[in-house]
Amino acid sequence: MKHLPTHRLTADAKMAYALIAPAALFIAVFMLYPVFYVIMMSLFKTNKLGILQQWVWFDNFTRLMKDPVFWQVTGRSLLWTAIAVIVKTVVGMIIALCLNVEFAGRKFARMLFIIPWASSVPISAMLWKWVYDHEFGLLNHTLTLLGISNPPVWLGMPTWSFVACIWVDIWIGIPFMALVFLAGMQSVSRDLYESAEVDGVNAPQKFFFITIPCIKQIVFIATLLSSLWTFNDFNTIYILTRGGPAGATDILITSIYKNGFEWLRFSDAAVMAVVTFIILMVFALVYARTYFRGGDDAL
Amino acid sequence: MKKLTYRNRYKIPVVLLTLALLFVMLFPFFVMLSTMFKGSTEIYVRPPYWIPKTFAFGNFVKVWSEYHLFGYFMNSLLVGLGTTALNSIIIIPAAYAIARFRFRGRSFALYSLLAMQMFSPVIIIISLFRIYVKLNLLDKLGGLILANTVITLSFTTWLMFGYFASIPKEIEDAARIDGCTRMGTLTRIMIPIAAPGLVTAMIYTFIQAWNDFLFPLSFINAQKKMPLTLGIYQFVGRWSTQWEMLNVAAFIALIPVLVLFFIIEKQLVAGLAGGAVKG
Repeated sequence: MKHLPTHRLTADAKMAYALIAPAALFIAVFMLYPVFYVIMMSLFKTNKLGILQQWVWFDNFTRLMKDPVFWQVTGRSLLWTAIAVIVKTVVGMIIALCLNVEFAGRKFARMLFIIPWASSVPISAMLWKWVYDHEFGLLNHTLTLLGISNPPVWLGMPTWSFVACIWVDIWIGIPFMALVFLAGMQSVSRDLYESAEVDGVNAPQKFFFITIPCIKQIVFIATLLSSLWTFNDFNTIYILTRGGPAGATDILITSIYKNGFEWLRFSDAAVMAVVTFIILMVFALVYARTYFRGGDDAL
Repeated sequence: MKKLTYRNRYKIPVVLLTLALLFVMLFPFFVMLSTMFKGSTEIYVRPPYWIPKTFAFGNFVKVWSEYHLFGYFMNSLLVGLGTTALNSIIIIPAAYAIARFRFRGRSFALYSLLAMQMFSPVIIIISLFRIYVKLNLLDKLGGLILANTVITLSFTTWLMFGYFASIPKEIEDAARIDGCTRMGTLTRIMIPIAAPGLVTAMIYTFIQAWNDFLFPLSFINAQKKMPLTLGIYQFVGRWSTQWEMLNVAAFIALIPVLVLFFIIEKQLVAGLAGGAVKG
C-alpha cells in the first residue's frame, strides 16, 4: 500500500476509481458543494433570495456572537442533547435489564418496545401533538385519572413545551438504546455470572462489576450515536411547536431552518449551519476513531 | 420445593415493570387506535374517552379520497422506490471497490463514509434550495429522490462494504481462474452472496425516503407532489385540525414502515453499533 508507484496507476486502482466515481460525484454535487456554498453564505452579505452580494469576512459571525438569542439557542441545543441522552441511556438500560430476564412473552415485549423507533418520526410527532392536546387529548385525561389534578397545558407554556418536546425525542430514542444494550448483555458470557453467584455476589454488584465493564464499548458508541441524532432532531420540534412559544424550544437545527426559510436571513442561517457543522465534525471524528478502535479489522 | 433462584425471585416485579414501561412507550399508538375510529363529533368531547361510541369505519374511505391520501401515498411510494433504485445502483460498485481493491485514498474513503453518517441535511438545506432553484428541481419528485439518495448513501455503502468484505476472497479467485471477468464475479457471485445485505440496505433506504419530512417541507409546494409526511402535516390546520383523519392517515402511513423495519431491525442495530454487536 505504501509502495504504490506514484507516476502511474495500476489497472486495479483505475477500475476502483471508476467504480467509486458515481458515488463520489453524487456526494460532491449534492453534499460537498452545498457545504462549500453555505460557508460562502456565512462570509457574504446575502439578500432575501440568498444570493451572495458582498464579501464581509467574519462580520456575520461577530454580529451573531453578540446576539444573546444565538447563545440561548446554542446553549439550549447542548442542554437538549445532554438531558435527552442521559434519560435515553438510563431508561434504555432499565428496559434492557428487564428484557434480559427470562419470562414468557419477552420476545413479544421486545418487539413492542421497538415500535417507537420503527415508526416514522414526523408521523409520531403529529400523533404526540394530539396526545398533548390540553382539552381533548388523552394524556391529560389519563393523568387526571391517575390523580394528577391539574396537568399542564403542554404545548402552550415555554417550560412545559420544552419538556413535551424533549420527552418525544427521548421516547423515539429509547428503543435503540434498549436494543443495543440488550444485544451487549446477551453477548456477556453466562459463566461470569454463574461463578459470581457461587461467590455470593448480589444483583447490583453483578450489574456494576460484570455487566457494565463488559458492555462499556457498546454503551459508548450507542451514546455517541444517540447524541448525534438528538442534536440533529429537527422533525420533533418543528412539528410540535415550530420552536415556539416565543422561541422557547428552538435549538440550532430548527433555528437554521427558520432563519433561512421563514425569515429569509440567509447569512444568519449560514453562520449557524457552519457552527453546527463544526460541532458535528467533532462528534464524527470521535465516532470514527472509536469505531475503528473497536477491533474492526477492515482498514 | 423449587429453589428460589435469582431469576425467579425477580420475575414478577420485572414483568410488572415491563408492562408499565410498555404502556408508556405505546401510549400514542393506543391514542391513535382510539381516535381513528371516532366520528368527527366524538373528537371534541370533554372529558375525552378511549372507546368510540360508534366505530366510524368510513374514516378510512374518506381520508383516502376526500383528503387526497391516495395521491400522497403514491408519491411516497414513487420517491421510496426511486431512491432505493438509484441508491442501489450507486452503492454496489462503490462498496465492492472499497472492499476488494487496494488503492490510494481507500482509508480516507472508509473514514469519510463513517463520518458522513453524522451529517445533518439541515446544514445544507438553504444552499441545496439555491441549487434546486437553478436546476429546476423544486416541486419535483425527482428532487426528493436525489436528496434522499445523498443522505442514505454513506450508511448503505458502509453496510454493503461490510457484507462484501466478509465474503472469502477464495470464492472470487476460483471463479476468476475459471474465466469469469471481474464484473462477472460481482454480478454472478458477490451480489447473490451479499443479497441479505443488499436487502437490508434497500429497505433502510426505502424507510428513510418514506419518512423524510425536511426535503418535501423545503422543496415541495404543490399539493399534487406531496408525499405522505408533508401531506398529513397539512391536516394540522392553523385554526383547527381534523384529528380523526390525521390519525387514520398516520395509521395507514405507518403500516408499511413498521413491517419493513422489523425485517431489518437486527442487521440495522449491528450495522450501527459496529463490531461490538453481532445481530
